[in-house]
Amino acid sequence: METTLIDHLFRYHSGKMVSVLTHYFGLSNLEIIEDAVQDAFLKASLSWRTQQPENPEAWLTKVAKNNVLDVFRKHKVAQKYFPETNSNIEAISTDEPFLDAEIEDAQLRMIFTACHPKLDEKDRIAFALKTISGFSIKEISSALLTKEETIKKRLVRARKTIQQTNLAFKIPQGKELPQRIESVLAVLYLIFNEGFHSNKKEILIRKELCGEAMRLCKMLLKNKHTKTSASYALFALMCFHAARLDAKINTENELLDLKHQDRNKWSFPLIQLGNAMMDKAVENNEFSTYHYETAIIAEHIKAPNFEQTNWDKILNWYKLLYNLQPNPSYLLTMAVVCLQHENFIKANHYFEQISPNDLAQRSYLFYGAKSDYFSKTNNPKKALEYIDFALEKVTNDLERNFLLKKRERLLI
Amino acid sequence: MKQFMMIFIGEDYSDLGLSPEEMQNRMGKWFAWSQKMEKAGISHEGEALTSKIRRISGVERKAKDIASTELKEIVGGYYTVSAKNFDEVEEIAKDFPDYDLGSFVEIREIMVFDY
Repeated sequence: METTLIDHLFRYHSGKMVSVLTHYFGLSNLEIIEDAVQDAFLKASLSWRTQQPENPEAWLTKVAKNNVLDVFRKHKVAQKYFPETNSNIEAISTDEPFLDAEIEDAQLRMIFTACHPKLDEKDRIAFALKTISGFSIKEISSALLTKEETIKKRLVRARKTIQQTNLAFKIPQGKELPQRIESVLAVLYLIFNEGFHSNKKEILIRKELCGEAMRLCKMLLKNKHTKTSASYALFALMCFHAARLDAKINTENELLDLKHQDRNKWSFPLIQLGNAMMDKAVENNEFSTYHYETAIIAEHIKAPNFEQTNWDKILNWYKLLYNLQPNPSYLLTMAVVCLQHENFIKANHYFEQISPNDLAQRSYLFYGAKSDYFSKTNNPKKALEYIDFALEKVTNDLERNFLLKKRERLLI
Repeated sequence: MKQFMMIFIGEDYSDLGLSPEEMQNRMGKWFAWSQKMEKAGISHEGEALTSKIRRISGVERKAKDIASTELKEIVGGYYTVSAKNFDEVEEIAKDFPDYDLGSFVEIREIMVFDY
């Protein structure tokens, strides 16, 4: 019998199983559950070498379930510490598979747990990727460009916080919900951006991070309480960004800005999906930062080429975005937009409001833009000076090459 | 035709910290290998072994449980195949999927007793 497995079946299934079993046995048993689920994949990887089961998902579910039950029975953990889990052991001891709705509900609970404001911001991402997305510590570390040791520490800290604060495994309700959704969306957007902006050579893992953020966001859109206009807007935003992912890097692995991207390489189906999601996002008048960010990127996508970009509209969207969320990087972008316009006075007006330190490790973008400003206003000496500032600050190799090329052009 | 055993030796999957994604990929490669042998008409049988080890040694029959993490090399499983000679089995063993994990294959001929 020849069966081909669905791509990422194991990984997706890992998040499903960990979530649904946590729903039964509680967050306090998370580690036991994660080990049991991991062991199910280990067994599958050995036992399916010569023949794969007819229903791989059911096989995995059953083994993971039995693994957990074995542990509880063996250690008598249930009787001693968690008398309430006894009834749950009975409840899942049957051969009944979990219902899809049950799994989806549990996964949402896990998302809200991972993105809980009580967890440290960095811990949220690591914990979400481990628990919901089924990444290994090694995979998380290479995706986030962070040492394995650091990721391990974050996971330990996240689990500790969950135990100490006794977090409830639930989808928040009522007044608490909007703010908690906001926290979830922020984490998903961070995960997406890690993939979209990391520009590292391993393009595969970048795409996976983007895809993962989109998959989790989609889960929010499936539940009537969590499909808010902001969730739709974020999903639309991810679609529009993801549509350009393949066009961002040329065959020499060099970074391409919007001006130099081959627009034919943009993914039309993703743009269409983004449009459909944006229609949903504007059904009421609650606009989030994601709405404005999507509006901005939509303007870029609408333009048949870079020269025909409607910069006036973009600048306007940025002003609205900045009003809602005063972030120095928006000022920088507004300055860059004005440069495109050759509106140097206005560009300078924005530049003057920025202190590069506020941009932290992205301050090189400020210096790069200032260099453009001086080069366009016929001050080549200053332009060179600022590109050198930018080169001092940049850490990413692709970005550095991009700046070096610019520097070469300045010397001609 | 003779009977040979390919013995797979290396670190245990669970000790390598493989992710679900990696385990699925590994499994896919093993499955492909098995399919390839089947298509080539090479009958193969075998088992995978769990990582728990109990070693009994000495005249006193002393038993000791050994954690797989203590050993870099444990026997993880085997296939028996029929082939003309070692070279033929070597060809088959080239598709063993776990060389990149530092694992290796040992080929042994199964002894036949004529009487």
